[in-house]
Amino acid sequence: MSKRFTGLKAWWVQRVSAVYMLCFVLFLLVSFALHPLQTYPRWHAWMARPSTSAAFMVFFVALLGHMWVGLRDVLLDYARPAGLRRVLLAAVAFGLLGLVLWLLWILLRLQA
Amino acid sequence: MVRKPRPVFLELARIHMPIGAWTSMGHRVSGVVLAASVLVAVYLLGLSLRDEAGFVQVTTLFGQTTFKSAVVVVVWATFHHVLAGMRHLLSDFGIGSPLRVARRSAWFVNLAGLFLALLAAGVLW
Amino acid sequence: MKLSISRYNPERDVKPYLQDYEIELIPTDHMLLDVLLRLKAQDNTLSFRKSCREGVCGSDAMNINGRNGLACITRTSELREPVVIRPLPGFPIIRDLFVDMTQFFNQYHSVTPYLVAPEPPPARERLQSPAERDKLNGAYECILCACCTSQCPSYWWNPDKFVGPAGLIQAYRFIFDSRDGATQQRLDDLDSDPYRLFRCRTIMNCAEVCPKGLEPVQAIERIRLKIAGMRDQVGGLDVHPPKSPR
Repeated sequence: MSKRFTGLKAWWVQRVSAVYMLCFVLFLLVSFALHPLQTYPRWHAWMARPSTSAAFMVFFVALLGHMWVGLRDVLLDYARPAGLRRVLLAAVAFGLLGLVLWLLWILLRLQA
Repeated sequence: MVRKPRPVFLELARIHMPIGAWTSMGHRVSGVVLAASVLVAVYLLGLSLRDEAGFVQVTTLFGQTTFKSAVVVVVWATFHHVLAGMRHLLSDFGIGSPLRVARRSAWFVNLAGLFLALLAAGVLW
Repeated sequence: MKLSISRYNPERDVKPYLQDYEIELIPTDHMLLDVLLRLKAQDNTLSFRKSCREGVCGSDAMNINGRNGLACITRTSELREPVVIRPLPGFPIIRDLFVDMTQFFNQYHSVTPYLVAPEPPPARERLQSPAERDKLNGAYECILCACCTSQCPSYWWNPDKFVGPAGLIQAYRFIFDSRDGATQQRLDDLDSDPYRLFRCRTIMNCAEVCPKGLEPVQAIERIRLKIAGMRDQVGGLDVHPPKSPR
């Protein structure tokens, strides 16, 4: 699995996702500063908007891609022997997939 | 005759770590801290959006001391990780890569992260 | 001058230990190597590599007060005492300050460190313009002393898989040589798995300790950009005044 996800692809994913996340977070901070959402109804309504939910989902996918490359780097450096490393990498991959599904469920629940 | 394995000198405390090494260590540690905090953040997001009671639970959490201390650590982790990451991005494209410039940017990243965390601590308390 | 030098005799010792020495400095003890050679006259079991005594062969690379450097160009007047001398970090210790350089040289050989003639050969000379030759500045000066590679944490964790700063600066020297005909193969080789080049985290320990003031980290950056298909940068690599151990 690691051979297909070569150094260069991982490096691009990490950089591109970082730039996207930075822009998104800055945008979020500016939005919150201008329109604070201090009550539950307003918070819920804002998150439930299709544009907000979609943007969050894209941000989260970028975050998970970035996390995957970063955690994989840590495991590639320190985890030995190769068998244990493969198990840990698979565990992290499944964990991240689980996180995506969890967030998807949270966001879809808003539309109910 | 089996030769016994040769020893290796790797006492990290005895090896000089230049300023860039500390930035890099911080970048890795902050990354792992952030990864852990994403799990907690997703849980809190779900809780705050579930219903009015959940929302109140999350907002009151921000008043508790243990939670606030954790937030300060996460704030440090975020700032250090982002600043060190930006330093990486710039040097990837050749900006700030000579050693003398890189040392100064390393000092800036290390100190700015700590400073901003302390600022957050001041704001929260 | 007080020194603490790492000793290890595989036939007698279980693990390396520090041995204290004290020696009266004489006016000709300008460099650490001068002191070590006089110490050897006192205790001839003390073992270390040395050769040119002028900082070009790279034999006497060692860890001095925590920082890798060449003993023959480390000034005694600048050293904090007691001077703690240990072998290069991360490399197997054969005896005292002798380390096993086999893996280091294997990594060097693995980057094909010689020009591969392009086909077909030119009718006359293989010409190279001054601008093309400039690209090699900051890389060809590498003396393979291993100071950089043995101070690189990424190399410590995976010496068998990560090529290391010295190997990679040599790879740069050939990738960016206009006379070489195997550029794409070299780039493909370094991207063939996530370890060979991409373990580099830009920690920059390599540039900090290089006794020739070279910056392998920059060479690695430029190779990465070339693998990504970006345009080459003009000119050679940066070189800085080297900082000796203190």
